[in-house]
Amino acid sequence: MTTIAGARHAGRAPRSQLLARLVTGAVIAVVFLLPVLYVLMIAFETDSHYASNPMVPPSSLHLQNFSAAWTQGDIGRQLVNTVLYAVVASAVATALALLIAYPLARRLVRGHNLVYGLVAVGLFLPFSIIPLFIEARSLHLFNNTPGYIILHIEPGMPLGVILLTAFITAVPGELDEAAWVDGVSYLKYMSRVIVPLTRPALLITFLYGMLGVWNDIIGPVALLGPTSTNLFPITRGIYNFYSGYQNNYPVFAAAVILASLPLVAVFAGTQRQLIRAAIAGSVKG
Amino acid sequence: MTAAPSAAAEAAAAGQPLADRRTLARLRRIGVKRSRRGRQARLLSASSRTVMWAGLLLGLCVYAAFGLAPAVLNVLFSFTSYSLYPGAPVSWAGLQNYTTMFTSELPGVEPALVATAVFVVAVTVLQNVIALAVAHRLVGDSRWNGFLRLLVFLPIVLGVTIVGSIWLIIFNPTQSPAASLWGLFGANSAFFGSDSLAMPLVIGVQVWQNIGFTAFVFIGALKAINPDIYQAAALDGVSRWTRLRRITWPLLAPAVTVNVLLAVVGSATLYSLIYVLTSGDHGTMTLGMLSFNEAFTNADLGFGAALATMLFAITLIVAVPLMVYLRGRERRLLA
Repeated sequence: MTTIAGARHAGRAPRSQLLARLVTGAVIAVVFLLPVLYVLMIAFETDSHYASNPMVPPSSLHLQNFSAAWTQGDIGRQLVNTVLYAVVASAVATALALLIAYPLARRLVRGHNLVYGLVAVGLFLPFSIIPLFIEARSLHLFNNTPGYIILHIEPGMPLGVILLTAFITAVPGELDEAAWVDGVSYLKYMSRVIVPLTRPALLITFLYGMLGVWNDIIGPVALLGPTSTNLFPITRGIYNFYSGYQNNYPVFAAAVILASLPLVAVFAGTQRQLIRAAIAGSVKG
Repeated sequence: MTAAPSAAAEAAAAGQPLADRRTLARLRRIGVKRSRRGRQARLLSASSRTVMWAGLLLGLCVYAAFGLAPAVLNVLFSFTSYSLYPGAPVSWAGLQNYTTMFTSELPGVEPALVATAVFVVAVTVLQNVIALAVAHRLVGDSRWNGFLRLLVFLPIVLGVTIVGSIWLIIFNPTQSPAASLWGLFGANSAFFGSDSLAMPLVIGVQVWQNIGFTAFVFIGALKAINPDIYQAAALDGVSRWTRLRRITWPLLAPAVTVNVLLAVVGSATLYSLIYVLTSGDHGTMTLGMLSFNEAFTNADLGFGAALATMLFAITLIVAVPLMVYLRGRERRLLA
């Protein structure tokens, strides 16, 4: 009965439906891929070719745009700055989230529910750049590397605490007791037992924290001085590049491609984790 | 709100069975909790306990200083005449920033309210409708679908600056795909520099960038629906459309709640994409963008903070009843 009905149902998925799936798939691919491919294309065009035929692919690859973008945009230095800011800030955020999450998950402190709620609410607080700027200026965190990093730690923490608390709750408490009876120190226990067992949550916390710092554009504009070009991350570099080189789109496109490559590489390496976390709905947009 | 249970789902998905939470809860209810905590804490050596407290407090201090404090200080600063220029005298302004806002001495607040409303409504509706269609198409686990999911997610990874740059190139007024297309009809436009087109374009790019998250929450919800329900319905000869309306749609209600709320709060408070695309010119000056501009372009931090506070208040006033309504809708549909 079931098989007959099932087969009839499957058989009813007619050619028109298959065609519809093909068309909708193609539409999604075009809408999301074509804009990126177009930028990639003109990054290889000479300025004159672009000026006369912006829609026609170049006959030969013009690589000078990339070297021009690299030197004019100071992209190397900006990428180094960005990696430094993003990796350090997010690593610290992840570590602090773990140090908060463990005592909360194990209910080792009084009021753990209240503290958890206070941290979780951070996911829904608006990013208040004005008071952050005033704080930065009075705490000497404005316009310098350590300050910029310190100011970017907090945004990654609420998600980390939420994820890690859930993960640590899943680790049997008997493990803790066994280790502590044997006199293992707290930090050693963290690094040897809890870190390996919560690795997926740590990775997601780190990755989303890193992307947040990497892609921030409001922070670089408000928390770094306008002339401190040596401190600029890549986002502010690209933003300034656009204002400065509006008449040379191929070079600007090359700069955009160069700035995207590290992100695409990170994405290629971690897409499984990033997408799984997004499908689980555990990260906000 | 929804993050904790889904985090647990994530833990389960990662192959780590949640420790028998229900048993633990039962033990706790009958009073095992206190002795458990006492015993565990006692097992920790004094030095380990100090380290644990130090780590916890350090983390909470960073969070309080740069997460909670700015949110509170924002309100405080909105009653001052704080200036961007260092060393300028700061004084209490009382309600002056707010009266300025409402007496329209300073033009721009009213248009900003309108722009914010248009932006939020358009982005929320478009993002959810399109994401639902995309999710419905990409829920299956074929290789081709996996590739399409990567594409849909890419703009989130690339971030606002690169996404904004891509679309600035494509809508460059002189030589670009958009200019060529307009040229076919003998027309031209300044696109992001046009008073009529800037807002629709900014809305479009915002949706393009964030569709991935919204779609993936829907995909997660669609995957969670038990296929047996569809099979049973198919056996009973229920039509495709009815199945969609009577089974899929009600079971998606919690995902709709999450997505609508995230889209409303996100599009109301975030302005980074607008900053990259138009800096708020040509009718795209939302309240968030105006707050940033007043603070960092017009050097009036106090007034900027007042605008941000008002934006936060409006977002709450809209989001909380909306959440209550959507939760009620969930209960109605799932009853």
